[in-house]
Amino acid sequence: MAIKQPKFAKDYARNRKRGAVIAIATSQFVATAGLAALLYGVGFYEAHPMGAVVVVAAQAVLGTILAILLYRGIARPLQDMLAAVIHVSGEPSDLTPPNPNTDKNEKSGFKDVLQTIYELASTDTNTPKSASTNEAQPNQTVAKAAVNLQAALDETICGFVVMNHERTITYANKAAPVNVTTEGTTQLALLFSATNTLDAWLTECEQSAVHAEKVWTRIPNKLPEEEDRRFFDIIATYDKGAENEVVLTLVDRTTEYSVNERDLDFIAFAAHELRGPITVIRGYLDVLQDELGEAIDAEHKELFRRLTVSANRLSGYINNILNTARYDRRHLKMRLIETSIAEIYDMIRDDMNLRASSQGRLLADAIPTDLPKIAADPASLSEVLGNLIDNAIKYSNEGGAIAVNAQLKGDFVEIDVTDHGIGMPGNVVSNLFQKFYRSHRSRETVAGTGIGLYISKAIVESHGGTISVRSEEGKGSTFAVSIPTYQSVADKLKAGDNSNEGMIDQGNGWIKNHSMYRG
Amino acid sequence: MAIKTILVIEDDRFIGEMYVRSLKKAGYSVDWMVDGNDGLIAARNKPYDLILLDVMLPERRGTEILEALRGGSEDLIPQSKVIVLTNFEQDDESRMAMEQRADGYLIKAEITPGKLISVIEHLG
Repeated sequence: MAIKQPKFAKDYARNRKRGAVIAIATSQFVATAGLAALLYGVGFYEAHPMGAVVVVAAQAVLGTILAILLYRGIARPLQDMLAAVIHVSGEPSDLTPPNPNTDKNEKSGFKDVLQTIYELASTDTNTPKSASTNEAQPNQTVAKAAVNLQAALDETICGFVVMNHERTITYANKAAPVNVTTEGTTQLALLFSATNTLDAWLTECEQSAVHAEKVWTRIPNKLPEEEDRRFFDIIATYDKGAENEVVLTLVDRTTEYSVNERDLDFIAFAAHELRGPITVIRGYLDVLQDELGEAIDAEHKELFRRLTVSANRLSGYINNILNTARYDRRHLKMRLIETSIAEIYDMIRDDMNLRASSQGRLLADAIPTDLPKIAADPASLSEVLGNLIDNAIKYSNEGGAIAVNAQLKGDFVEIDVTDHGIGMPGNVVSNLFQKFYRSHRSRETVAGTGIGLYISKAIVESHGGTISVRSEEGKGSTFAVSIPTYQSVADKLKAGDNSNEGMIDQGNGWIKNHSMYRG
Repeated sequence: MAIKTILVIEDDRFIGEMYVRSLKKAGYSVDWMVDGNDGLIAARNKPYDLILLDVMLPERRGTEILEALRGGSEDLIPQSKVIVLTNFEQDDESRMAMEQRADGYLIKAEITPGKLISVIEHLG
């Protein structure tokens, strides 16, 4: 029997059905004719003509019904498999794809067969790499879809990068930020921050994960001021043992983030403008006090002190604003060096004593000099202490005592600033470290920006430390800052060398503001 | 080697005058240039012991001056020390680049002439 070569898989289904009908009809006709001949031969027809006709008719009807039922039962899985293949091939068809999760399919185990078909299809069309090999195969519909997909991948503004288990890039679409080295290998052109890199994450995954996902935001491809600098949000998926072990999806967010960059530029320029006059005010106050010496009386000296304190505080506020802007744009970086709390407090002691005494507060510090060294950014940590002492001054009363102490607690050195001022109720404490938060009461009575504690917390946490507060209304507050000892984090810091994050500096021979000479 | 001669490259008149006045009073010999081009020329023509370099300068930025003096294969000012003095909050990358080539990096608003002189004494 000549069967037309099917063009589509669904044509085969139709042809097969027609063939089955012909086969059932033919076989039943032969069986009925055979039975009739047999009955005639043995003389049954002569004896009981009616009975013979009934028997032959019953065989014709029952046999046909039985054959159809049998065919259905046997051919059903074949039909379902065909429908599944038609479905995954993407042919236009009105057949509904079979559901592998029916009770019947689960019981018979046919579910696994269907799932295998569906899975084969999904792995086959997913990767452009196998798509290109598919072109040679006769199933042109699938190949066409893959070619379309490849074209679409190169048209989209999202970057896609696929890596194998050796972290070699096996595919990168046009939008992906990659460059090709002189040896011809493709590399990612992305500047991850020093510790939180893709490679570090992959190393971690290789050791401890089967499936993992991670998101990075705001990763630039170039340094500032380089041309065509772009920012990406990156979604990485890791699938141990898969051919495409790592898949990166990169969303170009340059438009959004470069606005922030311009904001930061604006803040940097504004700070530059504000700092100019402050430089001159602080400078000449220093010069004047020095040159006038004993020529002025005590009252004028007090006025000079107030001017100095105010100029110093103004300078501190500008640093708070700059740091907050950087922190909010994820630019705030700490440069941790081996130092001690006593050294850091030495830098600001004079300034703090002046601030306290000019407001009539008694500031006393008792910081042991034999505490273990800590890993800290001296400038930033001194700003934190400055903020805490400023607050202690603000929220206490004339003549109030403020104490600065430090002690070792496990792997941390804790610095406390305690006042005996107005204190806070619990509901205020819980909101205290939020940006621009000011308690209702302090909004009315005490001047401030509401960013001091916010940025202090950010700075302390960037050190790997914690900041906390104990307070009792009417009795005063204690703010405690815990900073890891150098010993406890030294290994981690040294691992991050060649980077500006976690840079180790023994502090020898290098002069920076705040390290010794903060005014 | 004690520091005796100082070149101040600073465009702000008040700040420049303030540093020059204090440094001279402290006994240093001081030259002052207000724009980047003149500053670079002066730095190359005379072997100063110390150069105080601003970043935001007209004509030529402090970053470019430092690059021109110390960025090539040869250090053009081997006998001079350089302290970057700025009020501009540079991004970390640019700041690191300058710090690597300078002997100090200070924020002007955080430092008074008195402190600056004690820094210079430590440096010499």
